[in-house]
Amino acid sequence: MVKKIDGQAFQTEAKAADVAVVDFNATWCGPCKMLSPVLEAVSEELGDKVSFYAVDVDDNPDLAAEYRVQSIPCLVLMKKGAFVDQSIGFKPQAAISGWISGNL
Amino acid sequence: MNNMERADIAIIGTGPAGLEAAITATIRNKKVLLLGSRDLSRKLTRAQEIQNYLGFPAVRGEDLAKAFQAHLDQMGIEILEERVSAVYAMGDYFALQAGEQMLEASTVILATGVVQGKPLPGESENLGHGVSYCATCDAALVRGKGVAVVGYSPKEEAEAAFLGEICPEVLYFPMYAGEVSLPDSVTVVKEKVTGLEKRDGQMAVLAGDKAYAAASVFVLRDAVAPGQLVPGLETEGAHVKVNRRMESSLPGLFACGDIVGTPYQYIKAAGEGNIAALSAVGYLEEMKHKA
Repeated sequence: MVKKIDGQAFQTEAKAADVAVVDFNATWCGPCKMLSPVLEAVSEELGDKVSFYAVDVDDNPDLAAEYRVQSIPCLVLMKKGAFVDQSIGFKPQAAISGWISGNL
Repeated sequence: MNNMERADIAIIGTGPAGLEAAITATIRNKKVLLLGSRDLSRKLTRAQEIQNYLGFPAVRGEDLAKAFQAHLDQMGIEILEERVSAVYAMGDYFALQAGEQMLEASTVILATGVVQGKPLPGESENLGHGVSYCATCDAALVRGKGVAVVGYSPKEEAEAAFLGEICPEVLYFPMYAGEVSLPDSVTVVKEKVTGLEKRDGQMAVLAGDKAYAAASVFVLRDAVAPGQLVPGLETEGAHVKVNRRMESSLPGLFACGDIVGTPYQYIKAAGEGNIAALSAVGYLEEMKHKA
């Protein structure tokens, strides 16, 4: 499951997770809309090792700025709150799970 | 067919490869969605004379196109005139962004021809980090900042005008000759762009003998490279990587014609279109047995 969170939950939940993947997106962004069911499928696959979150950049401009999100969709992978890697744009399921697994 | 229902095979491109794929898929009784131009292919119609197309000795491109059109008409194949800007591999189907519509198909055949022209120096390296291909996607992230737009066709002026509404400064670099019509909120710079650079965390557009600073640069082209059209697709230079069955690196997605490589010949493209369609039919059969 991909959990939609705001700035506060980002600090308390996403940053505390062993491994977190945060999907920075917006309601008006076409590729974001397409990525969301794909990420949902990835979360079914890797949910026991990785926590998945979604952040709306319109509602959380500070978070987007902090993580230097300049193009969306943008997936940010963190370990215990520390930035590890990011993936920009739509990608198929195998590519995303491969990218996450490669960073575990 | 109704465009709202999922097609068996979506074919993108109306040159010899795409048309032959559509004809073969129709013979095999598949629901086909053919996207392209009603003028078929500019490369084809502009060809002065083609000497090696079987059955048509020394034919003018325009006449061969007429023969292709007659073949389509006879089989009742219609062309949907929409530009496909993205193909998303959703797992068991594909979503195609075609103009404002989102279309669906179980398989996709790419037959868009080869994209001429290379990216600008510094373009690929900074993609997502100061370079964007989609003004409407990333507009909210540049609100209140100075941006630059490198436009390859007059159509992109609308995107620049839109950015002018939300950004204090918009520089527009037309990469084409002719009139540019834009509101006062956009500054037109008629200098040829030679490259993009990152300087002190900002982007710089190199044009003429100057560097123009911008928070983000939008590079807007008519034709998109295959890896950009289909995110996640494996490519080799300007070409899509395929095997002899015309299968790409993405299951269910096939490619044929100039987009898969040389020789850029009409008869070779048509032959590959035939293979791609038969491979797509085989893939659909496999899917049916799995379900």
